[in-house]
Amino acid sequence: MVMLRGFLVLSIFFLLGEAVRILFALPVSGGVIGMILLTVTLMLRGRISDSLAQASGALISVLVLLIMPGVVGVFFQADEFSGQWLAIGLALVVGTLLSVLTTLWLLQRAVRRTGQELGND
Amino acid sequence: MTDLIDRLAVIIHTLSNTLVDSPSANIVLAVALTLGAFMAGNRLFAFFRSPVWLPPVVIAACLLSLALTILKLNYGNYREGAQWLTVLLGPATVALGVPLYQQVRHIRALWRPILFTLPIAALLAAVYAVLIAAAFGASPEVIASVAPKSVTAPIAIGITEQLGGSVSLMMGGLLITGVVATVFVDLAVRWMNIQDPRIVGFALGLNGHAIGTARAFELGPTAGAFASLGMGLTGIFTALTLPFVFGTFGF
Repeated sequence: MVMLRGFLVLSIFFLLGEAVRILFALPVSGGVIGMILLTVTLMLRGRISDSLAQASGALISVLVLLIMPGVVGVFFQADEFSGQWLAIGLALVVGTLLSVLTTLWLLQRAVRRTGQELGND
Repeated sequence: MTDLIDRLAVIIHTLSNTLVDSPSANIVLAVALTLGAFMAGNRLFAFFRSPVWLPPVVIAACLLSLALTILKLNYGNYREGAQWLTVLLGPATVALGVPLYQQVRHIRALWRPILFTLPIAALLAAVYAVLIAAAFGASPEVIASVAPKSVTAPIAIGITEQLGGSVSLMMGGLLITGVVATVFVDLAVRWMNIQDPRIVGFALGLNGHAIGTARAFELGPTAGAFASLGMGLTGIFTALTLPFVFGTFGF
């Protein structure tokens, strides 16, 4: 029962997000808008209810379950992208290598500059 | 022997296709298959001693597609039934706001470097992939599917749909990105001699979404918190900017 109340809150914020997306014709999904609205609301309140913490924890722990129907699709629709696998593979692997190096380099520089370095923990 | 297997296959085929004809049975079948594969994937992952390069979702997806192939189930039918699960992705995306709120104090402590790094790194994560895919002649649909490769799945699904990509291809790309990002961060951190867990964690979450974040929690709670932060901020930032960037590039 406690968790259901939290789920109701999440559903309401999702519906709010969808409403904002449709009203303002935004190219962002309703879930993301709902997430931002929820984060801002929690920051303004400064605390979080047990029911919301429980419900969100439960949903986040089964995220993989929720995305699986989409993931397996790639096995059944692979033919559609034949001839483009080299481009896809390079974009994913080389692109990720470049972005990992960029992130580490930028953040290390920025942290050093503000002098907020931290030792090992 | 082969005769027996053939007959068994026919029986399984007839049975599963009878179930599919009843709408409610089709839904429960899809949900049951997904649940079973998910739980078996987690079991096997623990059995293999949690390898970095083989996250539970990859194992589960392989098992699930194997089951669909053996039962000769049509992917369209399965997907229709599984909508009862995927519809929960909306509230689940909203739920990500909770850990984000819980990390507000981390943002406050390091907001300057984060504010400087995040927009550039998150945008480049998408731009590198888009440029490489375009350079090797990928179609607009494929380009739209690899663009959100560093974004956590529930948010990336929304982005790909907005950009006109294939959700299935994007999901496959997401998995590969998560796994290689984890491996590359491990290597690069050693090569660049970085020891600050905040930097390592943030890089894991920003580039490797949920898979990188899971790895960061193995390294320690500080790395884990910064990975969640990196994942959440990258998701929001990419969702808000990529559709506009895509529009101006004219893909």
